[in-house]
Amino acid sequence: MDQKTIRILLTKAEQDCHDRGVRYTATKLREAGYEVIYTNFLYPEEIVNTAVQEDVDVVGLSSSTLGHMPVLRHVMQGLGQEGRDDIEVIVGGIVPDDDRAALADLGIRGIFGPGSTAEELIAYIDHCTTDGDRP
Amino acid sequence: MFHPKVLEHDKEEKGSWAKEFAKVQKKFLGEKPFEASTGSGIPLKPLYTPEDVKHILYEEIGLPGSFPFTRGNYPMGYQFMPWANQPVIGCGTPEETRKRMDYLREQGMTGYFGNTFYNLVYDLATHGGFDPTDRAAEGRVGECGMSVYSIPTMEILFKDIPLDRTNVIHITMNQTLPIFSIYLAYAEMRGYRPDQLRGNTMNWYHTYNVVSGLATFPPEICDRLAAELIWFCSKNMPRWNTTNLFGYGLEEAGANAYQEIAVIVSAGMSISRRCMELGLEPDEFLPRFGFQIAQGNDFFEEIAKIRALRKIWAKTNRDRFGAKSPQSMQVRIHTHASGASLAAQQPLVNLIRTTLQALGAALSGVQAMEIPGYDEALAIPSEESARLALRIQQVIAEETNITKVTDPLGGSYYMEWLTAELERTAMELIENIEERGGFIKAWGSGYIRSIVEESARKWKEEVDSGKRVVIGVNKYRMEEEKKPSLYKINPETAEVQIERDKEYKRNRAPGLMNEALKDLERSLVRFRNGDNDHSVIPMMIEAARRGATNGELMWVMKESLGWLSSATVAPC
Repeated sequence: MDQKTIRILLTKAEQDCHDRGVRYTATKLREAGYEVIYTNFLYPEEIVNTAVQEDVDVVGLSSSTLGHMPVLRHVMQGLGQEGRDDIEVIVGGIVPDDDRAALADLGIRGIFGPGSTAEELIAYIDHCTTDGDRP
Repeated sequence: MFHPKVLEHDKEEKGSWAKEFAKVQKKFLGEKPFEASTGSGIPLKPLYTPEDVKHILYEEIGLPGSFPFTRGNYPMGYQFMPWANQPVIGCGTPEETRKRMDYLREQGMTGYFGNTFYNLVYDLATHGGFDPTDRAAEGRVGECGMSVYSIPTMEILFKDIPLDRTNVIHITMNQTLPIFSIYLAYAEMRGYRPDQLRGNTMNWYHTYNVVSGLATFPPEICDRLAAELIWFCSKNMPRWNTTNLFGYGLEEAGANAYQEIAVIVSAGMSISRRCMELGLEPDEFLPRFGFQIAQGNDFFEEIAKIRALRKIWAKTNRDRFGAKSPQSMQVRIHTHASGASLAAQQPLVNLIRTTLQALGAALSGVQAMEIPGYDEALAIPSEESARLALRIQQVIAEETNITKVTDPLGGSYYMEWLTAELERTAMELIENIEERGGFIKAWGSGYIRSIVEESARKWKEEVDSGKRVVIGVNKYRMEEEKKPSLYKINPETAEVQIERDKEYKRNRAPGLMNEALKDLERSLVRFRNGDNDHSVIPMMIEAARRGATNGELMWVMKESLGWLSSATVAPC
């Protein structure tokens, strides 16, 4: 089967100061054969622009210090406006349980908090980038 | 260090001990060897005896208060005064933060000589250089710190606090100079001269970049800015501790024990060289340097790390920089118990981890402590978790009786051997960084990031494979019975602060302030171009006096000095 390499944008707010998890994630995803782009952003539209320009399959937001909810709202809206709601958006880091319902409303189900392993993340990405089969 | 007869006896006795140990080992391991190492990979034996320390000269250990200060900076330990309680405080609005400051003070938070130390952290928006009204501050106002960025917000925070009898520690990232200037302008309004103020600036610009790869000023500029603040304080603020060498951040990013102290000493040497270029003598600036060091899980290695750091800093400053005053050689250490060691699972277990870390710090003889709340893998500390973290320090200081004897582990064969090993491994890395042209060059080439990241990766893979036990994460897992109630900032925080910011800026006379900002800009450009007339800080204070905020001062700095970032945009 001829498959295009899955492209993943990992991104973190410029002011969010703990990137040990996301950098480890980037390394593990690269080793698993994905193409990984890593950026820091100041405004949510930068995430949307990069995701569209780079034609990624997945956007992963790393958040260690909260502040992810408004960002994700803008990102989901922006991707929708660009006609790219096929891009899977996931979030990793410290995500309070209280945010889960709001994230589900936005269509975000991939949440990788403390204790998540690279294998779980890879399984999730593989699952949701297989045609038409989103968890 | 020992009489030959002792060593001979040790050898004989050890022969029979080894036979007995081997018998037991065989029962458990069969033919496999006993393998153990410290957290940073230093191989360990099951027992240490005089033979292991015979190569260490007694002068290398010495007495507390004597060079190389292995056993402590001063002749006394905690007999007359324990370490300073220095918990990190900062949440939401200035009012909310002040409430927490008052609360912890009522609960017994005490600094030296009965003074209070307030260790205050600014919020994410302020760290980034954005006032609450800036669009880039959305979701980050009052998060992970306090929304304090102007004279009026400082007035709410410090109202009626005697600034000459209080140590105010400003935890900043790139905004060290703007916050320092606003604080001085505010203090002046209250009638305090700079020379009356006591406290601490971070003055370390590599937190964002080395620790998390984020935005910053160009690397050379960073150290020159640090030296500029030191120069200003050496002339005007004799009681101010200028620089906090932030080893803790490296540990949090993944550095192991010897990497943490080696990299941070290299960073300190880099700043010292900049200070000497400005014509300062080592004894003029070194006594006002301090260290913030992690106390992690590997109990003995972390103690040995502190003892080794004291030796390395003393020898470095005496032998490389020609320091003469003992204060220039002594490492004042603010311990930060390791946040990276805390788990989100079974969070109350973190109380046990931080208690052991605090005990380790006390046995190492540090000067101040921040103990994280047990809920810090989940949120910033609640009032309850902040109180319990303080209680850990109080129980150790007041109930265990460990404060009566200085450096109680001094002379232990294992501890002295391990201290010498930590010194050796750290010195190897320091020399390696020197050969690469020093800290700034080693950072620029990506070398420092690469070793820290490799160490972080090793840690995570060991946790994932179960080789490194983290209780609740990869062992003794359980369904959580009940979640702790987490601290949440008041949902109206951003709204309140945005309204305040708008009102403040509406009612301000901008003419004089804009003039001062223009002067500052010209001064910063001269500074960037190597024409340093030491006007940057006085002009920044003048702009702050005339009402400039952190966001406005940071904007001028970013524009004039250059800013390495994914995006540099004007404040909206």
